Amino acid sequence: MWDFFLEGVSLALRWDTFAAMSIGLLLGMFVGALPGFTTLMAMAILLPLSFFVHPLIGIPFLLGVYKGGIYGGSIPAILVSMPGTGAAVATTFDGPALTKKGKARKALEIALFSSVFGDLSSDIVTILFIGPIAIVALMFGPPELAAVLLLALIVIAATSAGVFVKGLLMMVTGMLFSLIGQDPIGALSRFTFDFFAIRAGIPLLPMLIGVYALPEILTAIERKAVAVVTQKISTKEGGRLTWPEFRSCLPTICRSTAIGTMIGVVPGMGQVVAAFMGYAAAKNASKTPEKFGTGELEGVAAAEAANNAVNGPTMVPLLTLGIPGDNITVILVGAFIAQGLRPGPQLMVEQGPLVYAILVAMVCANVLFLVLGYFAIPLFARVVGIRRSILLPLTVVFAFAGCYVVRSDPMDLAMLVFFGAFGYAAKKLRFDVTPMVMAFILTPTIEYSLGQTIILAQGNLLGYIVIDRPITAGLLLLTPVLAFLMWRRSTRLRRAIAEGIS
Amino acid sequence: MKGKANFNTLAAVFFLVLAVAMFLVIPHQIEEPIIVLAEDAMSLKAEVFPQLVAAGFLGLGTWFFFKSFSLTETNQFLELDRTALVNVGTTLVAMAIYAWAMLVLGFVVSGAILIAFLATVYGNRNYYLTAAVSIAVPVAIFFTFTKLLATSLPPFPIDTFLTRYFIL
Repeated sequence: MWDFFLEGVSLALRWDTFAAMSIGLLLGMFVGALPGFTTLMAMAILLPLSFFVHPLIGIPFLLGVYKGGIYGGSIPAILVSMPGTGAAVATTFDGPALTKKGKARKALEIALFSSVFGDLSSDIVTILFIGPIAIVALMFGPPELAAVLLLALIVIAATSAGVFVKGLLMMVTGMLFSLIGQDPIGALSRFTFDFFAIRAGIPLLPMLIGVYALPEILTAIERKAVAVVTQKISTKEGGRLTWPEFRSCLPTICRSTAIGTMIGVVPGMGQVVAAFMGYAAAKNASKTPEKFGTGELEGVAAAEAANNAVNGPTMVPLLTLGIPGDNITVILVGAFIAQGLRPGPQLMVEQGPLVYAILVAMVCANVLFLVLGYFAIPLFARVVGIRRSILLPLTVVFAFAGCYVVRSDPMDLAMLVFFGAFGYAAKKLRFDVTPMVMAFILTPTIEYSLGQTIILAQGNLLGYIVIDRPITAGLLLLTPVLAFLMWRRSTRLRRAIAEGIS
Repeated sequence: MKGKANFNTLAAVFFLVLAVAMFLVIPHQIEEPIIVLAEDAMSLKAEVFPQLVAAGFLGLGTWFFFKSFSLTETNQFLELDRTALVNVGTTLVAMAIYAWAMLVLGFVVSGAILIAFLATVYGNRNYYLTAAVSIAVPVAIFFTFTKLLATSLPPFPIDTFLTRYFIL
């Protein structure tokens, strides 16, 4: 693993990787700063761009969009009390109050420095721990892999937004979509209804763009998409953040970074939970908790450090086991697959230097993030007022273009519209689409692993699992227990978040 | 069962119907292997997972049906007013037409028409800006994908039109 790391460092240090990350960061900050546009939407729409370039350009580009977007969401949260992303909701507790006091620039700068600190620290932790975790993952055979993936799916369903049984039903719906086409073992045709266009199955990209990007656009245009913000916003007043002010927030930033890092490893938790937990911990630890909510720099620092510290560790289950931990990493799975890299236990063996190169690129992206973000703050403050009536149709055209170019298949456009309508209906009927997409991606691997397990069992599946594969038996027994515990914790956290918001 | 039937109850019924439909369709929609090898006889048959999925819909649908009576979440479709329904409906229809028009008219022309139409529907009244953006952005996207990334987007099929209708 050390050799892979050194080789990865040399692979990552190339000018086109840095250029791609810089463009991704700027695009991400731009989209994150627009109320009504989400990082997820931006990544889904920009995903096709990563298909046609080297993995060390395409994947760092998307990671740049991801990191920039999470920070970008704090800009409208601070300036106009409108979080650009869900992760920035906790930033609205103190950010707008700081703006009203004439300290908008200080608030934006503490958000930037906290985000960079949290992200950088968690990326370093990821690099340190991914090797040992990958070694453990390599010991997994087909039975263990199938059990772990099933556990991950059920945990994702348990922690998804909304009612547990609805999450499970969406998970099974995703499994149904994955069955269309050819089975992964014998390549026998299933559920094609003699329709040649779907003989190879449903393509992933139209589903990703359809369920993640188009519903956001449709939601944004429910009210006529005039400019969301009409008042003038200035970042020139109040002066810049001083070193004593940053130093006073440092313990809070470190605490929030630790919280975000631990949450990032667990599939299904995500930036929103991390931001709220980081804020709550900072308030509890403060000597003046009554000042939180009235315009405290520490309040902004706590939320931003925590939500950005999630970024690195979410890559751990993705790269070692092939389990996307949230909807953002689902997009990254699409990018990996398009590049011919299948995330999972074998990835570190077959492409170890490339994996480390991507992680090193993530670390370097934070340095670029700091520089670009610092100088771009006044620019992105203006982005908040861009008229959406022009921007939304442009997004639609870009989404269709990106969807078409991958296979040049008209069926992909029809799928895109279908999944756009489906995703919008699911959102309105309060079904979370993330378990569906996760199941769509993971089910072929589960089915294939199950097939291999049955062959290995030679007719005695139960005895084989209980006696020869105790880890698998343990995981299967643990699945309902863990799912229940995760569901209960997630429900309590969401209730606490909802009460905090109200 | 406390509470009354709501949109979740209808959704549960849909999933139950889907489960039954799957059980009926599975024997007819899964290809049979031409040759069955000894290994295949021990492996996972192609219909097993679909049957598990159908059973999942049946079991979860039943649970959801009974659970739905105690759920209090609202159907967000009912919260949409006429403006919202018109905007969303118009956009979806425009997207569907655009998916077809892109192949007939080409990416740039169809994209320009879509942007101009939707921007006007969404309330933009600066027609000069609309015209400029409608032309410039599709052209920029077209060149980005076709020249920079070496992929293909449907061009304006003037050559096909000419050879089909003006054969010399």
